[in-house]
Amino acid sequence: MTKLEEKLQQIKKEERVGLMTHVVIGYPTLEETISIAKTMAENGVDIIELQIPFSDPLADGPTIMHACEKSLENGTKVKDAFIIMRQLTSQIPTPLLFMAYYNTVFKYGVEKFCKNAQAAGASGLIVPDMPIDEESEEHFLFFCRKYDLHNIQVISPASTEDRLKKNAEVASGFVYCTARQGITGAKDQLDQNITTYIEKVKSFFSVPVAIGFGISKRQHIQALKPHADIAVIGSAIINIINKSNESDTKQKIKQFLLELKS
Amino acid sequence: MKGHFGKYGGRYVPEMLIPALEELDQAYAVAKKDKQFRKEFTDLLRNFSGRPTPLVFAKNLTQKLGGAKIYLKNEGLNHTGAHKITHCIGQALIAKRIGKTRLIAETGAGQHGVATATVAAKFGFSCTVYMGEVDIARQRPNVFLMEQLGAKVVPVPFGSKTLKDAVNAAIKDWIENVKDTHYVLGSVVGPHPFPTMNRDFQSIIGKEIRKQLKEAEGILPDYVIACVGGGSNAMGAFTDFIKESSVHLIGVEAGGRGKKIGQHAVRFPSGSVGVVEGYKSYFLQDSDGQLQKTHSISAGLDYPGIGPELSFLHDNNRVKFVSITDQEALEAVKTLSELEGIIPALESAHAVAHAIKIAPKLSKSKTIVVNLSGRGDKDIFILTKAFKDKKFYEFMKNLVEEGI
Ligand SMILES: Cc1ncc(COP(=O)(O)O)c(C=O)c1O
Repeated sequence: MTKLEEKLQQIKKEERVGLMTHVVIGYPTLEETISIAKTMAENGVDIIELQIPFSDPLADGPTIMHACEKSLENGTKVKDAFIIMRQLTSQIPTPLLFMAYYNTVFKYGVEKFCKNAQAAGASGLIVPDMPIDEESEEHFLFFCRKYDLHNIQVISPASTEDRLKKNAEVASGFVYCTARQGITGAKDQLDQNITTYIEKVKSFFSVPVAIGFGISKRQHIQALKPHADIAVIGSAIINIINKSNESDTKQKIKQFLLELKS
Repeated sequence: MKGHFGKYGGRYVPEMLIPALEELDQAYAVAKKDKQFRKEFTDLLRNFSGRPTPLVFAKNLTQKLGGAKIYLKNEGLNHTGAHKITHCIGQALIAKRIGKTRLIAETGAGQHGVATATVAAKFGFSCTVYMGEVDIARQRPNVFLMEQLGAKVVPVPFGSKTLKDAVNAAIKDWIENVKDTHYVLGSVVGPHPFPTMNRDFQSIIGKEIRKQLKEAEGILPDYVIACVGGGSNAMGAFTDFIKESSVHLIGVEAGGRGKKIGQHAVRFPSGSVGVVEGYKSYFLQDSDGQLQKTHSISAGLDYPGIGPELSFLHDNNRVKFVSITDQEALEAVKTLSELEGIIPALESAHAVAHAIKIAPKLSKSKTIVVNLSGRGDKDIFILTKAFKDKKFYEFMKNLVEEGI
């Protein structure tokens, strides 16, 4: 069993909604990425996705887009992502995933990317713009398998049954469902039909279900219980980082996480 | 899978957009075979846009250069001033068939935005156009026109604040509003089916060139030259001739101010293969795959990607690519205006400039067709500045002093 699978099993056993959080590598700085991720790990976060900044992030709203832009301005390189991954996996037990846009993986070389991600200790990859239809061209899933990386498939409320079925066939680790048809960004309210949607997804997928996009509050997570296995918090934490300064970022994130779980 | 040109093209988008692209793909496949659709499309091209556009012999320019005969395919005489209206009409008809009520678009020069706003007005869609802040600053007249046509123009403050960022913003809008919205992508780029669909719509350009040149000279052209931003006017002009091995096809890219990164938009040979904005093609990017800044005096060519089919044709050596600098394009605007009475769009002037370069080296028995993708009215502020027109500057100063 992989580190991620063990964690997912533990969450199931404890009958709770697991928590996955998100950081943009190099935002605000590479050093702070490390300390932010550690703070997350120390405060009950189950899984962390490390987003490799990209110049043209198609699925991201203003908050994450801005963080990517700043990170790139700071000079963050793809090679830094592997360094950060390695440092973190040697310091915290939390399963870590890379979130990247496909051009980052493609340009690096799909096999080399997967191989180095495994070597750095990554548990899996989330690459939202690498659809299953292009597998015969890209061999992305093939190399994820070869290097023991979970390929986290991303689906949305607009996904048809046909698409759900096709994604379920290749799903590994868990499936990432966007809570709404949209881009990333913290929202006040969850979609009312969210539980119906989760149940529909569950009828297709045998892997655990994560819900992300727009989740920012304790009530949101409560509402997902007992339907979803994992809640994903992305933009909400970046918003906190934006509102704090270097000295109190860790404290504010800690406070936010504790409130989420209270 | 459909939508590949060799290894290029494809549909590299988040799962969220796949249903919409599948719907569009199917609707287009059905429409393409539907007589009623073709009739309606052809009728609008003729009666709304003014097709066929003329193919005019550039007699004075030819004489002056003393080499190959130059013909101009004047797409600038289309309604709204460029070839862009053609794929907008086509897409609006498709959007109507699939019950969408809102059109969105990206725009660089503003030509595609104006064309989209125009068809939105004509067919009763609401309309939002995304435009980079840099482009808004240099193409304000088109912003005004779009607004007159009832469109909402949304400035894009991200990235390089130009065309590629407007594409990103439009895709995001589409993701959020896919139920009622059709994204009128403005070139032969993006995920399948856009490159194929827009090429098919635009291919009327080449078909007309073939027919018109046959009538005028009884021959096929030896050269077809077109400027290449994303590649819609070029694919439009080239497609009918791809199978004719005697016809040289030349794509002209924006050489900008120089060879340094950020100073031009020359994908060949500076670019490398990548997957961005939903398609695989050549992009101007760094070794990490981050898109690089580009520059061109013509907003429509100021884009780091290129249509996937053009990448395929490039690798096959079927289309040759060259570049023309800002300065050469400006000179071509002057030359064509003075000699032929046609003020070309700055984008199109790149194609003209290349014809001016090669015509004298070719024998008089050869024929060049230059695709004039648009007319130059929209560039008046850029041109007056570039040509240091003091009187125009005073005119603007007076206008500003008068106030609103
Ligand atoms: C007049 C004109 N020509 C050319 C272009 C470039 O686009 P494409 O390469 O798709 O023809 C534009 C784009 O805005 C344009 O307005």
